[in-house]
Amino acid sequence: MSGAHSPKSAEGRLSRLLVVLPWLMERGAASVAETAARFAVSENDLVRDLELVAMCGLPPYVDELIDLWIDEGTINVGVPRLFLRPLRLTEEEAFELLAAGRAAMQLPGADPEGALNRGLRKLAVGLGEDDTGVLVISPNPAEVTQLVEAAREGREVSVVYRSRTREEATERVLTPFRTFQDFGRWYVTAHDSLSDEVRDFRVDRIEALGVGGPSDRRPPDDLGAPGTWFVDADIERVELRIGPTGRWVVERYPVDSVTEPDAEGWVTARMAVTGEGWLARLLLRLGDQVEVIGPDSMREVGRDAALRVLERYEAG
Amino acid sequence: MADRVERLTNLLALLLETREPVTLDVIASELRGQYPDGHDARRAAFERDKAALRDIGVEISSETLTGDRAGQMGYWVIRREMEIPDLGLDDEELRALQLALAATRPGSESGRDALWKLGAGVDDGRVFVAMSVPTSEALPALRGALSDRRAVGFSYGGVDRVVEPWGLLLRDGFWYLVGHDRSRGDRRTFRVDRIVGDKVLVLDEPVEVPEGFEVRTALPEDPMMLGADQHTVRSARILIDRFRAFTAVRELGPERVLAHHDDGSVEVAVPFASLDALVSWVLGFLEHAVVLEPDDVRDEVIARLRQVAS
Repeated sequence: MSGAHSPKSAEGRLSRLLVVLPWLMERGAASVAETAARFAVSENDLVRDLELVAMCGLPPYVDELIDLWIDEGTINVGVPRLFLRPLRLTEEEAFELLAAGRAAMQLPGADPEGALNRGLRKLAVGLGEDDTGVLVISPNPAEVTQLVEAAREGREVSVVYRSRTREEATERVLTPFRTFQDFGRWYVTAHDSLSDEVRDFRVDRIEALGVGGPSDRRPPDDLGAPGTWFVDADIERVELRIGPTGRWVVERYPVDSVTEPDAEGWVTARMAVTGEGWLARLLLRLGDQVEVIGPDSMREVGRDAALRVLERYEAG
Repeated sequence: MADRVERLTNLLALLLETREPVTLDVIASELRGQYPDGHDARRAAFERDKAALRDIGVEISSETLTGDRAGQMGYWVIRREMEIPDLGLDDEELRALQLALAATRPGSESGRDALWKLGAGVDDGRVFVAMSVPTSEALPALRGALSDRRAVGFSYGGVDRVVEPWGLLLRDGFWYLVGHDRSRGDRRTFRVDRIVGDKVLVLDEPVEVPEGFEVRTALPEDPMMLGADQHTVRSARILIDRFRAFTAVRELGPERVLAHHDDGSVEVAVPFASLDALVSWVLGFLEHAVVLEPDDVRDEVIARLRQVAS
């Protein structure tokens, strides 16, 4: 989603100033380094913009609008004035907080009387919002709660797992690091004893689960954000043209790049092909809303899959 | 020429501090040398600045003046409307909101901006349990209209519609809008990501949500039952081969199983109202599932496959 402004545009810079200035005014002083890090801006850009607003003003009080000076890496504020509080949340920001909060309230372990729900209620009251019409529904199977607990406590679990590629179920010892839900399906990112790798497993393919003792395994430094678990530079890429009603795909799967929609609402996206069958399923489900641009080796994937499935229909 | 940020800051300061509405002439004279001299160029630059301020969330009030400035537009900004009120969030509540964003919308710039405004930073600590929450550009406007109880206009399924929003629901990775479709004179459910161009017009028309309406029960639990209020619920008989039998039965429940075959495959009965959802579900199994009945569903699947195969 576009939403936030490009940090280099006038809107982006002013928008940042209007959140940095109240923060500085409340504190009186802060180091350039700390302020830049907190607000995700380079020290140079921060100093340039602060020095600029320190020079702002209307006659006859030129350069007295904002009482601020920078000295030896420290930003100092004299008399706080003008921009004492941040701006109201935009519609988009309010939605983002609310949706995130409502979704998190559905995760296993969320406490209806806990801090998150209290915070959400204060947000709604303070902003004069009626947010009762927004709801997130999420099923939480018992296995998920067990996996989350095991991850928190650093324990192993033994599972019987039925994978997509093998016929028989296999027994594995997993050290779960994180569980996540994507499109209504639960997955667990875990170290797997059988492959000695960190992998993602679908929770609905776990046939039996037993919680074991402490594990020595530690999560890799970067597990990646949920929803990007399968993105890897080594994975093959496909370039797709996707129609207006197939656009959820671009939201749903991590993309390397996506174009602006053309006049008919079609976009071109480059994305990771995350596994055998994944692209075939996607192409069949999207039907006439998708077209493979390249590479050539993938151009026939949808056609081959469709023919394979048709064969089953003709046989039966 | 002065940096545009300087001009915008000065403009905002003037509009905030002024005791009475200021005209563009006054603005240009106060911000000496910062706006172009020519009338049209000055107006154009001012309109751009107004749009920029509105864009970052500053509402500019305006009215047509009377008296000796009759006919001119006067502008000002109301501080109370511009600033975020004190929400009284304690540290624990802020921390919970940070974690919620980290678990459901990691990397979201709007979320980060919102946390900054609330006085919190972004949390990039470890998350043990997460949910990916999709978003689309139509959602913030829909939620705003829902909260303000106002009707919305958008294009969906090739038709321009006016809808009274009753509720927004996220389930299984899709946001749904439930409401009264005035164009159809009936209650409808819309998938938000299918709103054409993500464009929603918030109309100045009040909406009354019917008493007793609950968004929780507005959608059937099973996506294949979507539209059960408009279409007849039917049942499809589907053969799932042994490679997928376990997951299919777990998803549907054992009571849907019609027969277990010796080769490990199962026949299941799947109730559905949405043909689209059913076809999509079946195709997700690739060659591991075949629709046996009814014929029209089987034909639809075959037609879709032939189209891809051709």
